[in-house]
Amino acid sequence: MIGKIRELAKRWIAEGKTDAIFGLKEENGHVAPNLFIKKSELERLVISPNYSLCYTLRPKNSNIFSLLERKYPNLKIGVVVRGCNERALFELAKRDQVDLERIEILGIACTKEEALECRCPKPYPQNLLVGERVEGVTNDDNVEALLKKTLPERLAFWNHEFSKCIKCYGCRNVCPMCFCQDCRMEKEQWVKTGVLPPEDPIFHFIRFYHISERCIECGECEKACPVDIPLLTISKLLRRDIKELFDYEAGLDVKQESPLLTTLDETLIKRGE
Amino acid sequence: MMYYKSVLTTCPYCGCGCNFYLQVLDGELVGVLPCKSHVTNQGKLCIKGWNAHEYVFSKDRLTKPLINQGGRFVEISWEEALNIVVKKFKDYIDNYGPEIFGVLSSAKCTNEENFLLMKFTRAVLGTNNVDHCARLCHASTVVGLSQTFGSGAMTNSIGELEKANCILVIGSNTTEQHPLVARYILRAVEKGAKLIVADPRAIHLVKFADYHIQQRPGTDVALLNGFMNVILNLGLEDREFISERTEDFEELKKVIENYPPAYVEKITGVSKDDLIDSAKTFAIANLASIVYSMGITQHTTGVDNVTSCANLAMLTGNVGKRSTGVNPLRGQVNVQGACDMGALPNVYSGYQNVTDEKIRIKFEKAWNVELPSKPGLTVVEMINEAKKGSIKIMYVMGENPMLSNPDINHVKEGLNNLEFLVVQDIFLTDTAKLANVVLPAASYAEKDGTFTATDRLVQRIEKAITPIGESKPDWQIICELARRMRSNQFEYTSPAEIMDEIASVTPIYGGITYKRLEKDGLRWPCISKEHPGTLYLHKEKFTRGKGRFFGIDYKEPAELPDEEYPFILTTGRIMFHFHTGTMSRRTRLLNREVQTGYVEINPHDAEKLEIHDGEPVSVKSRRGEIKVKALKTNRVPEKVIFIPFHFAECAANVLTNPALDPVAKIPEYKVCAARVEKLSDTI
Repeated sequence: MIGKIRELAKRWIAEGKTDAIFGLKEENGHVAPNLFIKKSELERLVISPNYSLCYTLRPKNSNIFSLLERKYPNLKIGVVVRGCNERALFELAKRDQVDLERIEILGIACTKEEALECRCPKPYPQNLLVGERVEGVTNDDNVEALLKKTLPERLAFWNHEFSKCIKCYGCRNVCPMCFCQDCRMEKEQWVKTGVLPPEDPIFHFIRFYHISERCIECGECEKACPVDIPLLTISKLLRRDIKELFDYEAGLDVKQESPLLTTLDETLIKRGE
Repeated sequence: MMYYKSVLTTCPYCGCGCNFYLQVLDGELVGVLPCKSHVTNQGKLCIKGWNAHEYVFSKDRLTKPLINQGGRFVEISWEEALNIVVKKFKDYIDNYGPEIFGVLSSAKCTNEENFLLMKFTRAVLGTNNVDHCARLCHASTVVGLSQTFGSGAMTNSIGELEKANCILVIGSNTTEQHPLVARYILRAVEKGAKLIVADPRAIHLVKFADYHIQQRPGTDVALLNGFMNVILNLGLEDREFISERTEDFEELKKVIENYPPAYVEKITGVSKDDLIDSAKTFAIANLASIVYSMGITQHTTGVDNVTSCANLAMLTGNVGKRSTGVNPLRGQVNVQGACDMGALPNVYSGYQNVTDEKIRIKFEKAWNVELPSKPGLTVVEMINEAKKGSIKIMYVMGENPMLSNPDINHVKEGLNNLEFLVVQDIFLTDTAKLANVVLPAASYAEKDGTFTATDRLVQRIEKAITPIGESKPDWQIICELARRMRSNQFEYTSPAEIMDEIASVTPIYGGITYKRLEKDGLRWPCISKEHPGTLYLHKEKFTRGKGRFFGIDYKEPAELPDEEYPFILTTGRIMFHFHTGTMSRRTRLLNREVQTGYVEINPHDAEKLEIHDGEPVSVKSRRGEIKVKALKTNRVPEKVIFIPFHFAECAANVLTNPALDPVAKIPEYKVCAARVEKLSDTI
């Protein structure tokens, strides 16, 4: 599979379809995001372990694609994406954080094992070019276990989990959907500064409110948590609520506007309103 | 030309040794991304790590050499700066000999740089007066664990904590100071391990502990002796381990008999029931680990405290196995490495003694120069001698004693009394402000090298961007100085070559090369090119042969509360800042969390003094006085106050006691007598 991806990427550069390929590069056994410009470099292109490609770089408060777009107005980039990365790009595009016209999606499918590991409901992108599509995970054991608890038990569970928090902001930092210029998690009227653990639950809930309808369920927040707070479980429940309330699932349809960006009669709120 | 790349490097803050990628867009640092495949941090970081790129491009970075002209700093060229420094150095050597020099190396610099500065001090200046801030944090560890085990380093590796059945955390605020070590402690707890936290303060980790042992500051020897008394009385000691692997057990036993729980309760304030229960819990655990930090080391009895931890581990057979051991957590990214490299007044790299003639001859041959045999002065001694006038020149690389040393007023007098002070740093620190010449150094992001993490893991740092302004990597500056001092022993084209030299003269680093470090680094001892490195120490045999018990009696701290100074002042770090704040206070998010210092005071004490939360108060000790805001909190017990030492404007170290451990020469930062007063001009 990796051979096919490299071949396609090389062809895109050779044919001038894209100026560069954005993907993961392996060096000395470790893997990180990289912009491949020369074809020869693409021998180093890999796909695991996956990284949240679109997360916001601080203190710039922009993702790498938008930084590149601004700096190089004519640049066209091919991006190697899995299902979750593509969902992130779609939701970012709806919010003017990337320009999909400037991006060519090189979609790849995840394996069954990868889907299970990430508890991913849709382990393939819309623009699938390489790999076989496998079914996503529909039932989540952690969610089910939580829902079986009584409300006081659930409260105790989350109080315990959030009490471990060391306020690294890693969940926000890796989140491809956290891109506010002026982050509410950093507002003293909401969260007292300098205290460990941060105020429970407001510190975490600010983020969940903010990404409620745009969370694409990649689970990067949970993977970045140094104290293993099961953040993906909350994300899954949030997505379930948003689907029930608004019949909206973030990242699935690039054309469907977010219910929180529209008025009650579903007209789109214009930028700046 | 357009480029975007991720450069793998090691976090410059604490000793966890987390790896992250610096993201570089067209030569500019734009972000940090934790490395998912790193053995320790596994794609996670703390708040400091996530923001570790920001201070690199702070507008306050030093970009040109500076010379102090009557209190005003003027920019000069490198050529001028180096010539001025070299001329002074040479003149003073000719006139006074080498012993008037004091050199401070840096736990923030790479192994290569520490090795070079130690070589420069010994081989070019000709003195052993080289030391660094390990003196102020883990000097007692090096002495204590060397005399008991034969090696002064963390016995096990960080990740092993996850599989321990019981963890005793004593004097370490792990979630705040070593967050990625705390990760493994919390994971162990979730798997059912027992957690005992011994700390005078109710630190964050206490929330997850089975026992919180709240000993009076400075009573750790009594507490640990109490633990061992309970264990021996219940017959829970590991007799097989004691007889096969250790010596001098009878010496220990004789002393321990004198510490029954009721007596220990009187000294420590810890109830005898808690003492008995937690001691039992520790002793019956199959795999028990001890984790400690400054709460153990920064005492006039620092060596005794460390030795007592080693006694407890040996008594219960918890050394030389996975997920056990005595695990000092080192506070600076490369404080382990700076010690390993011999930036200490009594040893060369690899803890090889300067007084051992065979060793000295080895180094003399390697460097083709005659070397001094008399051990040099420690950090605090250098300052004392500066005040007396016998140290006349100091060369300080990446250290800030004006904030980190105890009794700052005294430090200032010492430094002001110098005839010449050179400071090499990335910022104009409070120490640099007193310098005659300031040399601008490059940060971790601008150079190649290696750091050694707290668990002996030697790892690469990699240059991500070119040095800011005219700053230069410290290793290049040292080489420039050495060449101008007419040494031909500093002709390196890269840090990799320096590491080759380190390996050739340092048995514990003998097998380390840059090539071998590429993937996951190596844990020393790594004695040959085929050696895989060492996950945990003392496996079949202690480094010194047999583990040695020491019977140690409790001694009081050097200064105890009295009527005039009724509080015990203890100091430390907080989650959001680092050491003297030069890096963390220049990072927006960290500075937002905590903008200045405070004194933690128990609400009962505050009420008695009619002090409100947030009110500025005066805190005094026999050394000085600071004005600082009060923070009413149950984190501290009554009669104990806590002040973080990061903040120059209300510096805890104006107050601290420079009394030293007699052997390790570490100051007693954790206990001094203090007085809190309401300021009359406030409501």
